[in-house]
Amino acid sequence: MTDFIEFGRTWMPFLLEGVGVTVGLWAVAMVLGFCLALVLVWARVYASKPLYLLATLYVEVFRGTPMLVQLFFIYLGLPEIGIVLDPFTAAAVAIGLNSAAYQAEYFRGAIQSLPSGQMIAARAMGMSRFQALRDIILPQAGRRVIPQWSNEAIVELKYTSIAYAIGLTELTSRAEQVGYQTFQFLEAFTLVAIIYLVLTGIVAQTLDFVEKRTRVPGLTNSGGKMS
Amino acid sequence: MSDTPILSVRNIRKTYGGIEVLKGVSFDLERGQSKIVIGPSGTGKSTLLRCINLLSPPDDGSVILDGVTVEQKGINQLRAQIGFVFQEFNLFTHLCVLDNVRLAQRNVLGRSRHEATRRAMEELERVGLADKLDAYPAELSGGQKQRASIARALAMDPKLILFDEPTSALDPELTGEVVQVMKELANAGMTMLVVSHEMGFAKAAADEVIFMEGGVIVEQGPPSTLFTQPEHARTSQFLQMLTHEHHET
Repeated sequence: MTDFIEFGRTWMPFLLEGVGVTVGLWAVAMVLGFCLALVLVWARVYASKPLYLLATLYVEVFRGTPMLVQLFFIYLGLPEIGIVLDPFTAAAVAIGLNSAAYQAEYFRGAIQSLPSGQMIAARAMGMSRFQALRDIILPQAGRRVIPQWSNEAIVELKYTSIAYAIGLTELTSRAEQVGYQTFQFLEAFTLVAIIYLVLTGIVAQTLDFVEKRTRVPGLTNSGGKMS
Repeated sequence: MSDTPILSVRNIRKTYGGIEVLKGVSFDLERGQSKIVIGPSGTGKSTLLRCINLLSPPDDGSVILDGVTVEQKGINQLRAQIGFVFQEFNLFTHLCVLDNVRLAQRNVLGRSRHEATRRAMEELERVGLADKLDAYPAELSGGQKQRASIARALAMDPKLILFDEPTSALDPELTGEVVQVMKELANAGMTMLVVSHEMGFAKAAADEVIFMEGGVIVEQGPPSTLFTQPEHARTSQFLQMLTHEHHET
């Protein structure tokens, strides 16, 4: 045990330098995924048939193929048609595009779980569809989607480790470097696992806090009372 | 000008899934008048209300609100002048009572926060909910929800209010408080078109009763005449059935 603490003292600072890259990659990917998901969900729920089909195709492609394949496609494949991205950008784009498909599906589920009377009442009062979406549907669906969105955020945080495969020096690749330098792989990967756990714990707790703070009686059923 | 009807419905037709639900319905509603529409279920009463504000656009015919034809162009502005009270209340679940009554005043009518609050308070007081401003819909009883939704409609200063079976989703002991509010509104001169079998309201507050069956208006007239001396056999049959139900419950 004391050996492990000593090991940690020596190598933790080196590993922690990877936290910035990992969290940065995650944050960029999540924001990209969120923005794209809004477009996708609009196309899937409210747009015309061609746009609906296009968005559905997108979701199915990104959910139905391995993330690593998507990453290689972007980083190694796209240069053949003249699109060359550095490892960080390629990984952020790949994770972001992939996450968009999942986020869109969670949003869609939340929107479609709302009673249709909410939109009808808003429109009956003279709100435009945009106003009804902004002031009624999004605030309600947003609250309902937090638990699933939180799950997605955690999954993506862990997925950032695939950037290792295209040579980005993030957390996982640093742990591997430590392992090869010391031949103490068990300790190295234990340390990095602890760092991931702390990061995912922070994300989960933060979103749990947001969910509790925004909870409205009767709207969400997680822990709240049902009418 | 003031003797033209506030609402004029002309020959409305509507087909749903191959079935003609409304087969040419026409009637007028005068300023300050309240009419109640009765008839067997599946007769197109609720569809008629939804055709008036184009929630469900009619296939044929026209609706004229205070001299203006109700059409898709400028529909939001027209809908803001037509209150709608739903059977299922449809209060906005994520907003407290006060915000439910304020929201459309702000984003549709463009009223200031101060003005919207003032009007909301007036109407909530009128329906007896001044002590429930911060409550969320899920925390209210059915009767309170419906009164809040009436306040929400009133705060928009509509030219008329459409009521779609406002007491049908309520437990029997809660219908009274909603009917009471509706009677007060009718007596205060609000123009109302009510789809309901609430005989208490019909007899006490309705100026006219419209009996609909099979997508057409069978007959209409003041409650005193229509309830006691209906012209058509179908009307009296229906009224008998209705009073029967009332005696049983």
